Amino acid sequence: MLQSFRYMAPRTRPELLDLLAEYGSRAKLLAGGTDLLVTIRAGVHKPEVVIDLKKVEGFSGLSWSQTDGLVFRPTTTINEVLQDARVRKDYPLLAACAHDLASYQVRNRATVIGNVVNASPCSDMAPALLCLGATAVLSSKSGERRVLFQDFFIGVKRTILRPEEFLERIEIPAASAGVKGDYRKLKRIQGHDLGIVGVAVALKGGKLNIAVSSAAPTPVLVQGLDAGIAVEAAVEAVAKATSPISDVRCTKEYREFMIGTYVRRLLQEVRA
Amino acid sequence: MKIQLTVNGSRYEKDVEENRTLLRFLREDLGFTGTKEGCGAGECGACTVFFNGKTVNACMVLAVEADGGSVETIEGEVKDGKFSVIQEAFDRNHGLQCGFCTAGMILSVKELLHRNPKPTEDQIKDGLEGNFCRCTGYTQIIESVLDASGQLPKKGELHHA
Repeated sequence: MLQSFRYMAPRTRPELLDLLAEYGSRAKLLAGGTDLLVTIRAGVHKPEVVIDLKKVEGFSGLSWSQTDGLVFRPTTTINEVLQDARVRKDYPLLAACAHDLASYQVRNRATVIGNVVNASPCSDMAPALLCLGATAVLSSKSGERRVLFQDFFIGVKRTILRPEEFLERIEIPAASAGVKGDYRKLKRIQGHDLGIVGVAVALKGGKLNIAVSSAAPTPVLVQGLDAGIAVEAAVEAVAKATSPISDVRCTKEYREFMIGTYVRRLLQEVRA
Repeated sequence: MKIQLTVNGSRYEKDVEENRTLLRFLREDLGFTGTKEGCGAGECGACTVFFNGKTVNACMVLAVEADGGSVETIEGEVKDGKFSVIQEAFDRNHGLQCGFCTAGMILSVKELLHRNPKPTEDQIKDGLEGNFCRCTGYTQIIESVLDASGQLPKKGELHHA
């Protein structure tokens, strides 16, 4: 049984901004619910109000333009991303991360924005967004802020989002189309599971970006390495940027070892 | 809050508490107990139903979100007293033992075959990664899916021989 809360489903963006201004941290936003309803059930969150974003006009689907690049909105689901022909063709790293996120029926509900605002260190979408130079557009009644994802996460389950703000759009630059990249996620089983570590690599115009999940309080980005960097130098740079811990899923040493292994394998793959 | 929705083609209108999950609403308020609650946290897939044409874990949907929507449960699979092709294949191939995962499993298979009518064994495993079985074993479940998709000739005859 879930603790009680009031459910609200605004129809317009101004209505939503009013509700956020009124309730702030007493409210939780509901998109796919695959994280939120689990945490409410576990008593981690006790919101007074749950605000459903799915009825808000203009908050669904994804789009692409030369100026804004690839745009995700508050209720764009992981499967919508995976099933998009442009994503599959031009943003293979994004598709790889999306495919490794949970199970098919979870991906039918889970959203890209939900995955990043939840700010779990093991977020599967964050590595792709970090590597591809994505921007988060944060909105509130007082206006809009634009930040890169390396400035968005500030700790375990913590972001720079203010209580009256929400993440309205994710923009992945048009210039990141065609970037070669892939994602490796270590799990306890082959099926859906939280990551033990995840490593994403993107090769973009002579530069190499590497992002790692489950290896620090936030997803980590190592950017702008020379594309021709020696493999062991890249492994070293990633090791310096990460600080994995031992926990219920595995030891710190195993994480360190597997991050290095995945960096080596991915470099071989993207440079082939 | 009063909600209206369609379940297996029939219209329902009912008052529901805002914190009630779609799963509890289906089972306890409407009596569709074919849908099971396993983990309650989106891991096991026992509560898989179709919601607006897509498979979801009903434990992670609020009943109020289903207002104006449509839901299909395992009860909707039987037509005129007859099993669906997928149900028959599970029956023929011993695709279930205790049956607790079966309702969710069959609806996930239905979704899988809809987007991929002839899945390979790997594609079946991938498509069913969100549905856990703890007793039958996956071998017969995979065989059931191969059978349901017409890829397991004569299996039924062998089974009954």
